[in-house]
Amino acid sequence: MATYSLYLKDKIGNKYERKNNYVLELVKLDKKISEETDMKKKSLLHSEKKNLIANRNKHPHNIKLKEFHNQEKTFLKSLKNSEAEFEKSLSDSLNSKVKQLKTRMYHHQQRMTFYREYVELTYEADFKFKESKINVEQIPEIIRFIECIESELIEAKEQKIKLDPKKDAKLKSELKLFKEEAKKKRNEEIHKVKDRKKEGVISSKAEKNSIRELKREYKNQVKLESYKIPSKENKDFIRSKKRELSNVIKREEKILKADIADARRKIPIEIAKKKPKVAYLTPLLPGLGQMLNGQRRKAMFFFLASFFVYFIAIPYALGYGNYQGEGIAGLITLAEGGARVHKSLIFMIEGVVAIFLLLIGIGLLYASFRDVLLTEKNMISGIRPPNWFETKRMLFQEGFPYISSLPAMLVIVFIVLVPVITTSLLSFTNMNPQNQSKFAWVGIENYKLIALGEGLAGSVFWLIFVWTIIWTLVATTLAILLGFFLALLVNKDRIKGKKFFRTIFILPWAVPAFITIMFFSIMVAPGGVITELLNSVFNGRIEIKNDIIMTRAALILIQGWLGSAYVFLLTTGVLQAIPGDLYEAADIDGASSFEKMRRITVPLVLFQIAPLLVTQYTFNFNNFSVIFLFNSGGPFDPQRYGNLAGSSDLLISYIYKLAFVHQYQAIAAAITVFISLGVMFFAFLGFRRSKGFREGRL
Amino acid sequence: MVFFGGKKKKRKGLYLSDKPPLTIPGIIGLIMSYTVLFAWVIAIVWPLFQMVVAAFNGRQQQNIMGNANFEFSLRHFEFLYNETYYMLWVRNTLFIAISTALLTLIMVSFTGYAYSRYRFKGRKASLMAIMLIQTIPTFAGITAFFTMHSIVSSIIPAFSRQMMLILIYAGPAIASNTFILKGYIDSVSTELDDAAKIDGCSNFDIYRLIIMPIARPMLTIIALWSFIGPFMDYLLAKVLLTSPSTYTLAVGLFTLISDFRTMNQPAFAAGGLLTAIPIVILFIVLQKQLVSGLTSGSVKG
Repeated sequence: MATYSLYLKDKIGNKYERKNNYVLELVKLDKKISEETDMKKKSLLHSEKKNLIANRNKHPHNIKLKEFHNQEKTFLKSLKNSEAEFEKSLSDSLNSKVKQLKTRMYHHQQRMTFYREYVELTYEADFKFKESKINVEQIPEIIRFIECIESELIEAKEQKIKLDPKKDAKLKSELKLFKEEAKKKRNEEIHKVKDRKKEGVISSKAEKNSIRELKREYKNQVKLESYKIPSKENKDFIRSKKRELSNVIKREEKILKADIADARRKIPIEIAKKKPKVAYLTPLLPGLGQMLNGQRRKAMFFFLASFFVYFIAIPYALGYGNYQGEGIAGLITLAEGGARVHKSLIFMIEGVVAIFLLLIGIGLLYASFRDVLLTEKNMISGIRPPNWFETKRMLFQEGFPYISSLPAMLVIVFIVLVPVITTSLLSFTNMNPQNQSKFAWVGIENYKLIALGEGLAGSVFWLIFVWTIIWTLVATTLAILLGFFLALLVNKDRIKGKKFFRTIFILPWAVPAFITIMFFSIMVAPGGVITELLNSVFNGRIEIKNDIIMTRAALILIQGWLGSAYVFLLTTGVLQAIPGDLYEAADIDGASSFEKMRRITVPLVLFQIAPLLVTQYTFNFNNFSVIFLFNSGGPFDPQRYGNLAGSSDLLISYIYKLAFVHQYQAIAAAITVFISLGVMFFAFLGFRRSKGFREGRL
Repeated sequence: MVFFGGKKKKRKGLYLSDKPPLTIPGIIGLIMSYTVLFAWVIAIVWPLFQMVVAAFNGRQQQNIMGNANFEFSLRHFEFLYNETYYMLWVRNTLFIAISTALLTLIMVSFTGYAYSRYRFKGRKASLMAIMLIQTIPTFAGITAFFTMHSIVSSIIPAFSRQMMLILIYAGPAIASNTFILKGYIDSVSTELDDAAKIDGCSNFDIYRLIIMPIARPMLTIIALWSFIGPFMDYLLAKVLLTSPSTYTLAVGLFTLISDFRTMNQPAFAAGGLLTAIPIVILFIVLQKQLVSGLTSGSVKG
């Protein structure tokens, strides 16, 4: 059985004596019992303890405590009345904020005198006394601040009326003159700087900076001069004071709250509880536990979680509020036997959404349970539960990463995960041209078809797969090598016109790819520019788009053309960031340029861009645009590829054709799952190999 | 302050460069480098030049022919403006691209910062999850997207297909760019953060005042990428958008070269040109930021 501890502990770990004498006696008795070896005496002590517990209401301390609570009640009631009276007695001319503060001051003064008598009795009174004391100490300061600024404001406003418009106008015209003169001076200076640049004394960067500096100086001068005009000065003064006023109030309130929070940490709480109960009694209703722990505002937020669980997640999972489906049950039935308009796919999606909503709900319940339990345990050991001010602060400090990434996570869950899971579920069904609206579970039938290369859709799978792999490796490697090589060339010391080359070389990346792909497609069509060129060179009739080999070669070249620009850009960025002293050190050690390249440039560049290169491979594996826009996956070769695919189709464009042209969604989903797993596996390997990951910088 | 340097004087006969003088193999290497570079310049410029020519050539009919004579004309542009939905496509694409970029930028800047600077419970697991998720190809859920949209739009009628498209573009972009930005912020030492913290900055202040300015080059890249994504993409837009007036540029322009009823290749060249020019200008103007932003840190040890 749990017992009371002898001391209370605060958040920092300091020990405090208990003030509750009744509990203290109990604890001491317990200690005696455990130390006593004589059985007879022990039973005596046991009966004494029983006696103590039975008579706990008659214990002097408890009686005093009860009295205190009663007194407190009546005191608070009377305080409310007297406070209202005090507020009325204040003159109406006072600022509303000051009025409020004065009332608060009165409130805490009264509280202080009341609780002072009970400080020794209980920590509760002790804390309330300290709280009021802090308020009483600091509020006058705040009021003084406000009054001081206000009086300044009033003075400024009075002056505003007294302002002489004639003097103002005169000063304004003076300012104009000053402005012109200063401008003249500035322009002269700028000219001087420009001349110096022309003479070659200073660099263009220095020229730019000094011109900027001169302009700034001019601006400052004018501004300073403009404050000589009384109306302008007055206006700015009033504005800044108003601002100061609101800032001061906010800041001082914050300090006050922080001081109170400090007191909360240092004064323990003493409750008559030995082990957490609330947490275990209220896990199903987030918010209630917080409420019982006395954290009211926090409870409001957790009640929102309750609302989500009981009015959104669970009803949705049971099928209420669905668009068509039946919540989770829809995942099993798939609208079988439902109305004609009911679609299996909708049932499936809603089932998946329901599962995610439930998971989020469970997460919320668990978080709330943990929160209540922790707070309660802390309270038992003597730590005060954080108030709203502290909770808020904690939320924005420790909770910051959670709060800030929450929207992103929600988007990822509902826009990425839900459809992806739906697709993987779809691959276990028979959604095909015959079963569009209603389909059923068929197990791993689709995967069997693909693996064995059977059926209308599965028979060409491996053919396409092999071409996809070849395409990925060759096209990407070509682009990487090209881009890397070009970047090295352009960034050589001696190459002039770097800017020109860089600008040209990123053009393939800058021009939207679909435009270039489509235009390449036009150029290699019969009668197109490239076709004509090749025909005149080789003296024949070449039809690139009708020849499998030539189409594939053209695709690879186009992708090399397109992809190199990105690699070029990446590599250039890294090359420019490599500190020059590395090369200098290598020079001193007598390294040749090849060695410098091998030992400095290549490793540094690869280290930085390796993960991005991996994504280039996966990008090309799924490069739909270039295949589809260039030749729609053609040329078609019905003898080898059947009617569903062309000979340059990648798996991705094959999936597109299966799902959206021929309506074999289920088998398309199976292929999707297959290649997604493959791509994910390789991407993961690539990431793990990259140095950043290995060095534990994740 | 103006910097006064010594006067530059050209002295002939005195080798002043800090590089070693060029040797003969060096000269040959240099010539070869220039040859390669200029060859690649031609390889890039020539196809683009052909497109420009085709767009302005009034002699070109429905199909662009390589042997057609040149006659300057703007009729393809007129056709584009009068006979197609080109302006609508531009508007649609801009709307989708800008929204995607903004959405991605806001979310990624938070996640990247959080994952780089904070050690919190579930960090490593969720980072792994994000890493795996970003490898899932976007099209994987494509069969579901269409149906999902009809579900959501039945509840919120204002939720258009284009909005769905924006979310579809932004979702995976968030996942992958979180990684990139996190890596970038990792490379910045925490000294600045610590200093700011000591001066009393809140987490959000550090995000706003320290991390965002430092990460701006990378954010520019991320924004550009997510902006350019919708321009480049054909597949998702084609599947999700069904009526020609809601098309994006990629889908719309493709109808000019794929469909026999609407075929007009020179008009495509004109449209492609008009589309490419602003984007290319954007890229070239931001080139410096793009390149320097990729790797450089802010606090140097």
